[in-house]
This record gives sequence, C-alpha cells and structure tokens, in this order.
Amino acid sequence: MGLSSNLLVIGLIAVAAISFVNQSFAQSTSTPTYARVEIWALFYRLMVIAFVVGALVLGVIGYIVWRFRESHPKNRVPTREPLEGGHH
Amino acid sequence: MVLEVKRPRPMWEILFSTHHTDVGLLYLIFSITAFIMGGALAMSIRTELFLPGQQLFADSNTFHRVFTVHGTDMLFLWVMPLASAFGNYLIPIMVRYQDMAWPKLNAVAFWMVPVGAALIWMGWADVTWNAYPPYSIIRAPGPAAEMWIFGLKILGISSVLGGVNFVVTILKMKHPDLPLMKTPLFVWAQLVTSLMLIVSMPTFAASLIMLYTDRLGVSGFFNPAMGGDPIAYQHLFWFTFHPEVYVFLIPAVGMLYEMIPKFSRKPIYSYASGVIAFVMLAIVGFASWAHHMYATGMNFSEKTVFMVGTLAAVPASAMHVFNWLATMWGGRVKFAAPMAFTIGGIILFFGAGAGGIVNTAMPLDFLTHDSYWVVGHMHLFLMGLITFAFIGFIYYMFPFITGRTYSEKAAMVQFWMMFIGVILIFFTQHLLGLYGQPRRTFDYVPVPPLIMMNQISTFGAWITGSAAALFVANLVYSVGWGKPADMKDPFHIGEQYYDYRRKEPHH
Repeated sequence: MGLSSNLLVIGLIAVAAISFVNQSFAQSTSTPTYARVEIWALFYRLMVIAFVVGALVLGVIGYIVWRFRESHPKNRVPTREPLEGGHH
Repeated sequence: MVLEVKRPRPMWEILFSTHHTDVGLLYLIFSITAFIMGGALAMSIRTELFLPGQQLFADSNTFHRVFTVHGTDMLFLWVMPLASAFGNYLIPIMVRYQDMAWPKLNAVAFWMVPVGAALIWMGWADVTWNAYPPYSIIRAPGPAAEMWIFGLKILGISSVLGGVNFVVTILKMKHPDLPLMKTPLFVWAQLVTSLMLIVSMPTFAASLIMLYTDRLGVSGFFNPAMGGDPIAYQHLFWFTFHPEVYVFLIPAVGMLYEMIPKFSRKPIYSYASGVIAFVMLAIVGFASWAHHMYATGMNFSEKTVFMVGTLAAVPASAMHVFNWLATMWGGRVKFAAPMAFTIGGIILFFGAGAGGIVNTAMPLDFLTHDSYWVVGHMHLFLMGLITFAFIGFIYYMFPFITGRTYSEKAAMVQFWMMFIGVILIFFTQHLLGLYGQPRRTFDYVPVPPLIMMNQISTFGAWITGSAAALFVANLVYSVGWGKPADMKDPFHIGEQYYDYRRKEPHH
C-alpha cells in the first residue's frame, strides 16, 4: 500500500474517531444528554461493528475449512510434495 | 519414541523421577484430574441455577464455596499445570538439551502443586477466586480462607520456580548451534509466559501476605476500619492476574502453532509475526490491569489509559489469528480431532475477543460489570480457545507419549458435543448479563427470560460435562487398549513430524 493510501486510511480513521468522541462525550450542547440512551446507542453501534467484522472473519474461516479440506474435489490428490529435511 | 506409559516401569520410578518427560507426565495426569474435578463442580453450579430458588445446595454460602473452589481449581490446577506439562515434556527436546536446567527444582515445583491443591480443596473457602477485601479479611470464615491463601502462595512459588527453570533452559541451555529464531513458536510461547509469570507473580505473593496479616488483625492494609484501602488489593491482584490471562492464553497459542501447520500440510505463514505478536501480548498484558476496576471510581484519564492499553492487545491477537488462517489457506487440511479442536477454539476465541471489546469500552463496562456477561466472556476464553487447544494438543501428543492411538470417532463426537455445549453455555450467559443477572448469585429473579436462558446454559453444561467424561474414557481406554500407533506418521498426514523423540536415556 502506497503512502497516499496510508494517509487516506489514517485520515478516514481520524475523522471517524472525532465523530465518535463528539457523539459519545459531547457535554456543551443545550439539549440534555441521557447517559442511559447514549450508552445503549454506543453499545448497539459497537455490536454492529463487531458482528460485521465477526461475520467476515468467520466467513473466511468457514471458506477455508470448506475449500481446503482434504476431501474437497480439487484437493483429493496431494497438491505438493512432502517437505524434505527440517520441520515447519 | 518416549513411551512413557506403554513401557512398563514401576510407579515409584515415575513419581520420584526428576526427568523432564516424567515430570511432564505427572503434570499432565494431575491437570486432567483437576479438570474433571473442577468440571464436576461446574456441573453442580449449573444444576443449581437450572431453576430459581434453592435446588441443590443447602444455602448460598455452600454455593459460594463451590464456585470459589471451581474457579481456583480450573485456573491454577488445570490450565497452568497443563501448560507446564507440555512445556516440561517438549522444551528440553526443542532446545536440544538433555533435561530442564535444574531437574530437581523442576520436580520440587511439580510436587508443590498437589500440596497447594490439597489446601484449596480441603479448605473449601468462600472468598471467590479474587478474594477481594474487605469480605476476605473481615467476614470470610477460617481456616478455609487461610488454607486458600497458603494454597495460592504455594502454587505461586511453584509457578515462579517453574518459570525460572523454563527461562534458563531456553536461554542458557539451548544448543549453541540453534538460534532462538529457529526454535518452534511453542518455545517462544513458553519463554514469554515464563517471563510474564516471573514479573507478575511477586505482586500477588506480596498481596497474599498482606491479606493474611490483615486477617490476623496485625495490619490493616486493606481494612477500612484500620485506615486501609480495599481498592489497593484490587490493583495488586489485577496487576498479577491480567497478565495471567495471557499466561493462560499464550501456551495454548503456542500449541496451535504446532498443530495448524502439521494438519494443513504447510509451513507456518509467518514465523516472525508469531514471535512479534507473542512479545507484543507480553508487553500490553501489563498495560490493562485496571480495566477490571472501572466501577471503583477511577477518574476518566486513568480509565482511558487502561482502555487503550487493553485494546492494544487486539492487533497482537489478530496477528495470531490471521497467521493461522494464512497458514491454512492453500493447504490440504486434515480435520483429525486435534485440528477440529483447533478450529473450534479459534472460532470461540473470536467470540470471546468481541465480548472483551465491549467490556473494555468504559461506558459499556458499566452495563456488563459484575453481570453474567463477564462470566460468559472469561469462560469463552478459558473453555473456548484455551481448553479446546489443550484438549486438541493432548490428542496430538497422545501417540507420541503412549505409543497408541486414541479413538478418533469418540474424539470427534466429543468435539461436536463440547463445541455446541460451550456455545449454549457461554453465549447465553452473555445475554443473561445484558438481562441483568448478577454473577456469583445463588438465586435469580423468577421471570421467564432468565429461567429460559439459565436452562439453556445448564443444558449446554450437561452436554459439555458428558463430552468431558467421554474424553477421559477415551484417554483411559486408549492408553491400555488403543491400537499401536504408526510412530512415523500417527495421523496419516504423509508429512514429516517435529522430532519429539527423547534420544538420551532417562537419568
């Protein structure tokens, strides 16, 4: 990933974080803040993120287990020679 | 091969041996026994909670005693000795030395464990595994609490002795032609774990003495009536026991690094990232202890520091997970029982990590603090990744230790029972926490959602308990009557194995 892409990613994260901090801890607005509502809202936002990331990773694990199992049609014949010499 | 069980030897020769494979075998048998005993207590806890009101135990105090011994047993008599078992067995072989650096000290470290275990089991304390003051110094009945304190003291000394022995064996006794960066990642796991133990354990050792003198009434470190501060104990306790979470976890991760490449028929994707992630975990493990204490009135800055410190463990954990997935990617994966437990453990590890992020976000911690969410979260780590990795590794090493094969069918049935059972128990406990059920309670509000979820959790516990019984039956039967293993390729993978053989004769 090039420098420009890195800067872009850092910028996006920073903007997201500022928004997150403002929403969570803003105290200076005239509208009253209900801590219970804010906390549950934060909880649901984090859970959405956690479930999305979790679904992606579990999906990858599921795909690996399905595709690279030794009984898969493309995997029945050994695809590579056993390692010679050392371990790992 | 070292056929520790198959080769006929008098029992006393193993019991009084200082040879590392014998000591490892003793640790192994002891820890599996403790697992079953602690598991029996877990069954009784869940059976009590199957319905609201009194079910099984005479009173709530008995219930407190049961979960105190259950927690202490599982952490200090199952998880830690099991890591020492395989560390003892494999580290000298992997660093190409004839034994541990100090074999007699090694045997002493093991024999302290049954003594500590006897104190804990015979004392039957009710202080919880945290032993928080002021209850533990003012109200907790003696001599149970004293026996718990001395039991933990002895186990702590044993851990430090074992840790020093591992560090010296790895760093000083390693074969001069073997660079540290060429040793298996299991060696790194043991090295990092031992260093963490040596740094963290003295703090708890000191706090145990302070707790004891407080109970005697000669000091008031944690006694508010004498000007002491109970919160100080929590800092001392968690300074030891948050790093201890990684002391529990890292050996299991090291075991996965042994099994995944073997059953994927591929080398580890990135050895260096595994080492870096171990070292990162060891460092950030010391930067997060106070996240257990958000509810004690810490100020915002302190909480922020510990929240960031805790989240710093996420990248290191993710490095391990992605390393495992990248190792499996493009491989030809054989799902024998060790690999099934490995994959199941990784999936449960991910669930535990997601729950942990909620715990460490300080506003959310107030929702989950002291609720069943915490019980579900910590058990998903301990019973999910750690115990799954341990059981997988026991099956993996079984042919190398006994010269026999275990029953693969029984092991796979056990895997599916445990996987489903653990999900039913601990995912449901997260929901119970959100519904407001506090942890460590004998009874709960008799409303339909709580009753239903407690019953699901208990049903899962019965399934898991049956699986554990199958596990022991499989091991015991296979040790005596299992088919002789093909020692060159016991899992029929068609690849070379790490040379787990002990070439020198026993001394």
